[in-house]
Amino acid sequence: MIATEVAEILIFPGLTFFVWIAFLFDWLDRKTSARMQQRIGPLVAGPSGILQPVADFFKLTSKEEIVPEFADRFIFFLGPPLFFAAPAIGIIFIPVFGTTAIVSNEYDLLFVLFIIGFSALMAAFLGYAAAGRWSTIAMGRLIVQYTGYEIPMIIALVTPAVLAHSLSISGIVQAQQNIWYIVLAPLSFIVFIVSALAELEKPPFDIPSAKTEIVGGWMTEFSGRPLAYIKLTKNLSYAFLSALAVSLFLGGPLGPVLFADPVLQGALYFVYFVVKLLAVGFLIFVIRTALARIKIDQAVRFFWMVITPLSLIQLALIMLVWWK
Amino acid sequence: MIDKLPTLDPFVIAGPVIIVVADIIVYIAVGKLGTRSSGKGGKYQPFTGGEEQIPARGTYQSELFVFAALFMVVEAFALILAGSFASPTNFYPLLFLAGGGGIILVVTWWLMLVGGVRF
Repeated sequence: MIATEVAEILIFPGLTFFVWIAFLFDWLDRKTSARMQQRIGPLVAGPSGILQPVADFFKLTSKEEIVPEFADRFIFFLGPPLFFAAPAIGIIFIPVFGTTAIVSNEYDLLFVLFIIGFSALMAAFLGYAAAGRWSTIAMGRLIVQYTGYEIPMIIALVTPAVLAHSLSISGIVQAQQNIWYIVLAPLSFIVFIVSALAELEKPPFDIPSAKTEIVGGWMTEFSGRPLAYIKLTKNLSYAFLSALAVSLFLGGPLGPVLFADPVLQGALYFVYFVVKLLAVGFLIFVIRTALARIKIDQAVRFFWMVITPLSLIQLALIMLVWWK
Repeated sequence: MIDKLPTLDPFVIAGPVIIVVADIIVYIAVGKLGTRSSGKGGKYQPFTGGEEQIPARGTYQSELFVFAALFMVVEAFALILAGSFASPTNFYPLLFLAGGGGIILVVTWWLMLVGGVRF
């Protein structure tokens, strides 16, 4: 029993499965942006270049890992795996096969909110620990941007909790048997996607890692294994936030019941989940390719003056109309 | 008085611990693929892109800390909202949302419009 649970956490549908989804997201992201820009994109490693992110990961890990002279060695060493741990922990609370996640608790949504905040904090720590010109500037931008998107993201995630009267992600999925919450709270879904773009540092909110302005942003001083881990973490966060959007707004793995056999139906739930996950991921790929970067003051203003009021209005509407 | 404590799945605690331990083990194992070096001068200097090196600690406008304090207040407000569904009616959550949210947004907008926040 314990071995099964550990295998679920570490292999399937837990960590290893989501790491492969993260590689798939990376490939799809690069392919989508390439197609939209009249390019071909990855082509050589695997069919249609699908294994390119895996090849890139192992290429980076086999390169020399340089620790800069003024870097904080402790954070420089321990930071990347802790940064990776944040989305890796978050995914075990996401229901993939049915309406219950591998690990579930009455308050796991609050834990996930903490994880999202921790992830941004770790990125800031890593930028600080590197002690370089560009990483310092990027760290400042990262923190300022965080103060903008964090609040609307929390309020957007609280809206499904109010609708379901539950702070459990599995509980929220179960409450969507009849209707998906994207129908009842479309503004919250939009707010969450916009905030997720900022959390993932994707255009138009790629201000902390703007290559044409501040080299590699807070990742400038990282090389070899830490850089490979940081890039993998960003893709895992991509998959995790998409999975969270699927669970809270798109009914998670729920869909039409076609089989009486629970195993077959479980497999079908899994297919529903993956299809929805790719749909949300694709939405983010298209938005990030289509939009150009804005300035940090514009981003914060946008979040505080447009996105936060939108999230509050949606929550107030939900409380007024749909309160159980 | 609490009659019955809620049951807790032990994997709520053990799950994250298992992931962190596995993560660090894999990180150390993957480190065997490449080499690691540290030192002084030359390639160990932070990349400046031809610009002058700045101190490791950046300088910020003091207004940023006012903004950070405001952020903390709003964060607490949002987290209290997260527990609002436990209320038997929607009256108090709505009152809290309208009152708290209104005050916070007016203060923030004012702060931004008068240039009280600089980045």
